[in-house]
Amino acid sequence: MRRLLLALMLIATATPVGAEKLASTVSSATIQITSSFDGAVLSLFGTIESDVHGLAAPGPYNVIVIVTGPLQDRVTRLKTNNWGIWTNTDQVTFKQFPSFYDVLASGKLANIATPEVLTEKNVLPIAQALASSTLGEVAKATEFGTELVRLMTEQGHFAVKEDAVRFLTTTAYVAQVTLPSDVANGPFIAHTMVLKDKQLVAERTEGFSVRKSGFENFVFVASKQQPLLYGIVCVILALGTGWLAGVVFRR
Amino acid sequence: MQIYLPIAELSMNLFFLIGIGGAVGFLSGLFGVGGGFLLTPLLIFAGVPSPVAIASVTGQVAASSTSGALSYYRRNAIDLHLALYLILSSTIGSMIGVGIFGLLRAAGQLDLFIAVSYLLLLGFLGSLMLTEAVRSILKRRGGVMVPDKMPSQHSWMHGLPMRIRFKKSRLYISVLPVLAIGLFIGIVGALLGVGGGFILVPALVYLLRVPANVVVGTSLLQVVAMMCVTTILQALTSQSVDVLLAFCLMVGGTVGAQFGASAGKYLRGDQLRALLALLVLGVAIRFGLTLVLQPADTFSMAVLTAGGLG
Repeated sequence: MRRLLLALMLIATATPVGAEKLASTVSSATIQITSSFDGAVLSLFGTIESDVHGLAAPGPYNVIVIVTGPLQDRVTRLKTNNWGIWTNTDQVTFKQFPSFYDVLASGKLANIATPEVLTEKNVLPIAQALASSTLGEVAKATEFGTELVRLMTEQGHFAVKEDAVRFLTTTAYVAQVTLPSDVANGPFIAHTMVLKDKQLVAERTEGFSVRKSGFENFVFVASKQQPLLYGIVCVILALGTGWLAGVVFRR
Repeated sequence: MQIYLPIAELSMNLFFLIGIGGAVGFLSGLFGVGGGFLLTPLLIFAGVPSPVAIASVTGQVAASSTSGALSYYRRNAIDLHLALYLILSSTIGSMIGVGIFGLLRAAGQLDLFIAVSYLLLLGFLGSLMLTEAVRSILKRRGGVMVPDKMPSQHSWMHGLPMRIRFKKSRLYISVLPVLAIGLFIGIVGALLGVGGGFILVPALVYLLRVPANVVVGTSLLQVVAMMCVTTILQALTSQSVDVLLAFCLMVGGTVGAQFGASAGKYLRGDQLRALLALLVLGVAIRFGLTLVLQPADTFSMAVLTAGGLG
């Protein structure tokens, strides 16, 4: 369902929404993970142009960029005390929940967009949680969803940064997104929305991907495609290392 | 220096990994245990996803036990015959354990299960070993010579059929308790991501009355074999063995184990057992506290992996 929505969104963005056109790009289409990978910083920039040729786009504009990471199924669990022992007693599953979600904006969300726009575009992280919840009860989904967003934020995977988009001129902006070192591998989506008078006037979606390269990729692929061989190599490595240490330290 | 772990999908400090591998390796060489029961919780605490931690530690335990087992083999301190029986039954046990592991993860009760079993198992073993070791130390202080071989008391175990002679252990006992111990170690080892040496050593000493001079070597050999089997099983089923993580731990662990083994020569058997008992009790208490104390965060989250597990 969400994939379908995403596809629809991509088609929708091909046609301009209003009189403004957005030209945007991401600083790198692929982020390669090498052995020394320790997170990455990515720049997203663009300009807002008037649809009517030769006319300067009237401002002032605001921009919201949403960077979404690969989707995963996640579960949030609650521990309660039963007879003196703390155990997981309740859990809510969130299907196809983003592993990374950063909202970058050029101002306070409440000041730059109407609540309707924020709701319709599922801007806030909690909206992502509610959209992924498999639960019928909204109250419980909201409670667990809020906690899930809090946990993701604490681990640096979720953020709402209301000053992360900077305008270079009245129509050109730049934003930076920081990917943590334990970022999930896979396709990322940067969805940019241009707002004027709190209303959406243009939007555009770009993709980029995070993937392992070289040796890291080789190891990962081997563990999935040749698990038996991979396991045997691990064992040989273990026995070899142990034997070698025994020889080196032999007295 | 950061190093990216391709299966865990995060980067960690190389020196931290080698360091904890070395520290745990030292203890494993000293006591003749795999050290998994210390390393696995440490890694999980450092942020490694628990399936990856459990699966990768098996590789590290195999490596550090190998160098230990080899040095005992050279000293002729392994009962190969006894080890063979233990290896066969523990292999079957570890297959059962890997299966149960998957079921518990799906039910979301793996953490509870791990904490309770560590608490009960380690608490029981730790107190048992501590009382025995302290008593033996006190006796020696009192001037009574404690023989290396335990007084062979006849228990119900000696009445069981299928008796086999284990020459090196100077034992003539039924094969059934040997197989049962192996099976149990296999299940527990796969479930808790540990080699089981900390259970096997006391089991061999107190249940089977295996003499102290071959206990550690035999236990190490059994741990090597079982960890190799478990590593392959984990690579096949959960695909969460991180070879880079395991290798960093191995390098630290094998070196640490050598120092541990030579440090062990300066301590007497009962002193070693008393120290191991304290270590085991400490881990048990730590797990007990996580069950009883209010957690800092009552909410937790986990990724449900492709296989539908979490």
